[in-house]
Amino acid sequence: MSVFMDLNVNYTADKSRLQSLIETAAHLGFSTVAINYVFEPTAKKKQEIPSPTPISELMDSLPVVQGRSRPIRVLNRLTIVMSDASHFRPTAVEYRRYDLLAVQPTTEKLFHAACMIYDVDIICISVTEKLPFFFKRAPVNGAIERGLVFEVSYSAAIRDSTMRRYTIANAVCLMETCKGKSVILSSAAEKPLELRGPYDITNLGLLFGLSEGEAKEAVSSTCRSVVLHAETRKTASGIVHTVKSCSQSAPADCEAPPAKRARSQLTE
Amino acid sequence: MRRADKKDEPAVYQRVVLKNASPYHYLKVCLVVEDDSTRLSAVELKQFIITGLNSLYGEVGAALTFDLLKYDEDTLTALLRVYSRGLVKLWSSLTLLGSYQNQACAFRVLQVSPYLLALTGNSRELQLD
Repeated sequence: MSVFMDLNVNYTADKSRLQSLIETAAHLGFSTVAINYVFEPTAKKKQEIPSPTPISELMDSLPVVQGRSRPIRVLNRLTIVMSDASHFRPTAVEYRRYDLLAVQPTTEKLFHAACMIYDVDIICISVTEKLPFFFKRAPVNGAIERGLVFEVSYSAAIRDSTMRRYTIANAVCLMETCKGKSVILSSAAEKPLELRGPYDITNLGLLFGLSEGEAKEAVSSTCRSVVLHAETRKTASGIVHTVKSCSQSAPADCEAPPAKRARSQLTE
Repeated sequence: MRRADKKDEPAVYQRVVLKNASPYHYLKVCLVVEDDSTRLSAVELKQFIITGLNSLYGEVGAALTFDLLKYDEDTLTALLRVYSRGLVKLWSSLTLLGSYQNQACAFRVLQVSPYLLALTGNSRELQLD
């Protein structure tokens, strides 16, 4: 089983609050979190894409993940809220400073383009308003095939009961189209008390129409595949991980009792 | 579970096998409130949880029976018992509870098990060395 990740923790300029967010996430058992910078371009003037604060400047030492005795991994992520096709600039150098790239399309046309063309990792589903368009099977399947994932964030559902209604409705609508595949559940938390533990989120996934297995994948292995997808996007080809295996061939001496020895030795 | 019938017999090892899924699930939860000095009585806590069930599932959901078996007012830690059928409902309403009397709050579900005995210890808090 792969580890738990929360790929959306909202960036705040308040450093101590961000630190306590990351500490809470580590305490709850998340092995990886991504700090989310939201960029919302307006049509009028050109705006600067925010540059991420290096992790080393945010925290001196990263907190240890509960139950894993290793420090938490922190990534940077950029979310572009798109209302026009010109808002996403595929060649922008600024994007390269982020580990993960997400878009939140607001129209059906942009959603289609994001699913089929744009070189991004995550497509955010709006949870604070009624769904502005209907999810069609074709772009969703295209996105799944390209390795993109859809993100549903749950902290709005904790804040307000109207948002909760929209979150559940939009999530169920998405799950019907994508059949529970390639979905991640993340927090989008601004305060530590808006974070929930990984098993709580798994249980919440059942409410959104996921099965138990899919819900658990939505906080673990799907997240891992997004992070790997983001790495391949940077290199334009692919990545290979090698692990040095320490297992030597089982010592063939006679210390082990005959019953535990390999079968071939016994039949010699 | 059966109790030992005769007193003069020495206690024997007894194995209990549940053929079907266990009827209850037990949750150990801890309430974290923004203001540390907030204290709730057991009645208030149960009422608060019922409010959460009501807001997420309506009157039918609020009719879900669950019991507050044990409650520690100092640490705000409670042991809940619920029919296995209602576990998902109760748990999700705990997850989505976000404010208590206009303060931010969160339920941290520490342990969930179909066996009460399993909640006596927490393997995640073991110090292995």
